[in-house]
Amino acid sequence: MLLTGLLASVELGINRVLRLDSTALARLAPLSGKVIAVDCRSPALQLFLLPSDEGLMLAAHWEAEADCTLRAPASSLLSLALSKDKTAVLHRPDVELDGDSGVLLELAAVLQDLELDWEYEVSRWLGPVATPLLGGHLRSRARWYRQGFASLGQNLSEYLAEESRTLVGQREAQARFNELDQVKLDLERLEARFERLSRSLETKR
Amino acid sequence: MTDPRKGSDAEPTTHFGFKNVPESQKAEKVAEVFHSVAAKYDLMNDLLSGGMHRLWKRFAIELSGVRSGNRVLDIAGGTGDLTKKFSHIVGPTGQVVLADINESMLKVGRDRLLDLGVAGNVEFVQADAEKLPFPDNHFDCVTIAFGLRNVTHKEDALRSMLRVLKPGGRLLVLEFSKPTNALMSKAYDAYSFAFMPLMGKLITNDSESYRYLAESIRMHPNQETLKSMMVDAGFDRVTYHNMTAGIVALHRGIKP
Repeated sequence: MLLTGLLASVELGINRVLRLDSTALARLAPLSGKVIAVDCRSPALQLFLLPSDEGLMLAAHWEAEADCTLRAPASSLLSLALSKDKTAVLHRPDVELDGDSGVLLELAAVLQDLELDWEYEVSRWLGPVATPLLGGHLRSRARWYRQGFASLGQNLSEYLAEESRTLVGQREAQARFNELDQVKLDLERLEARFERLSRSLETKR
Repeated sequence: MTDPRKGSDAEPTTHFGFKNVPESQKAEKVAEVFHSVAAKYDLMNDLLSGGMHRLWKRFAIELSGVRSGNRVLDIAGGTGDLTKKFSHIVGPTGQVVLADINESMLKVGRDRLLDLGVAGNVEFVQADAEKLPFPDNHFDCVTIAFGLRNVTHKEDALRSMLRVLKPGGRLLVLEFSKPTNALMSKAYDAYSFAFMPLMGKLITNDSESYRYLAESIRMHPNQETLKSMMVDAGFDRVTYHNMTAGIVALHRGIKP
């Protein structure tokens, strides 16, 4: 009953997030009635996902047969949940798929394409005037921090490479690597020439 | 041997809460209770069970084995909690019938489901669980959640449910039962007979209906008795699961 309660709470949260995307529920509607079993190998845990136009239903056990079963260790399942490229995770060797994999791939695609409209959710609580103000402020702050971090990174690398000479600059390093490559090639050619000469001397004797 | 349930005029009597009433009057009295509580039924369920009724129903759905394209009958479906979930599970190729004997409850359930956009594969039928107006071998799953204790002739209702089920179909009976823990039983009694009527008085201005609900729970057969009633009715592989220390039990039987 505890697990059922926990799953009910998680389901409520997931469906609230899914509703923030304008197309997710419409894309889940054709998957209505399908059952996806997620079988976690280590630790042993089974979970059933039932998509519908209302979102996802989570169940600790399901009596009817699943249309698709996904078997994977917890680490792969976690990276599947967090990764942006979910189809790449599904092709890993430790991930096993049984049954109609199309159902799972479609669900993974829906979750991968989520574009959540957080501003709409916030506007329900703060109203239509305060939300754009807050959104605009947060966006400009985010932009400022992004630019700030990019500029800090650039300045730091320039200082370390050009001014303090603590590190070798990228271009300088590249030039050295090219020279090393050239020396390596010259050495290999020289070695080949020596070999050729020594073979010709042996044949003359 | 005289039947203790029979009154002086020889009309069989049955229990209505802790009282004995003529059988012909029970349905009418139960109907009065539900007419009175219909409008605030969901709110009261949430308040009185602390939201637990949602988990009990979730567990029933998990055990139902219902899948896409199935035909499901939700008897005493009331405000349509189970019907709503089943409607999504069976999909457009399946069908869910919400049946309730009480017109007010059926109206509340129908309006609520339509407002939630649950339509297309759902039908609403006012029907008596003892005489279900459906053909034989028609449903893949029949559920009755918190309804069986209000039925006058439970054996007839179980036989009627068996008739409309397809062979291999499942009956799920979700109902209040007997707590398995003595301490819990004491606390539950105090809660039912003091708190429930008080909440009924405060919210629906009707403490009598909630006193009846508490009394009817005590008069309902316990886990083992209901199991043997289902076996006697003809169900196979009857099992039950206690929930919340036996306050609620989910019985499941298969039609052979």
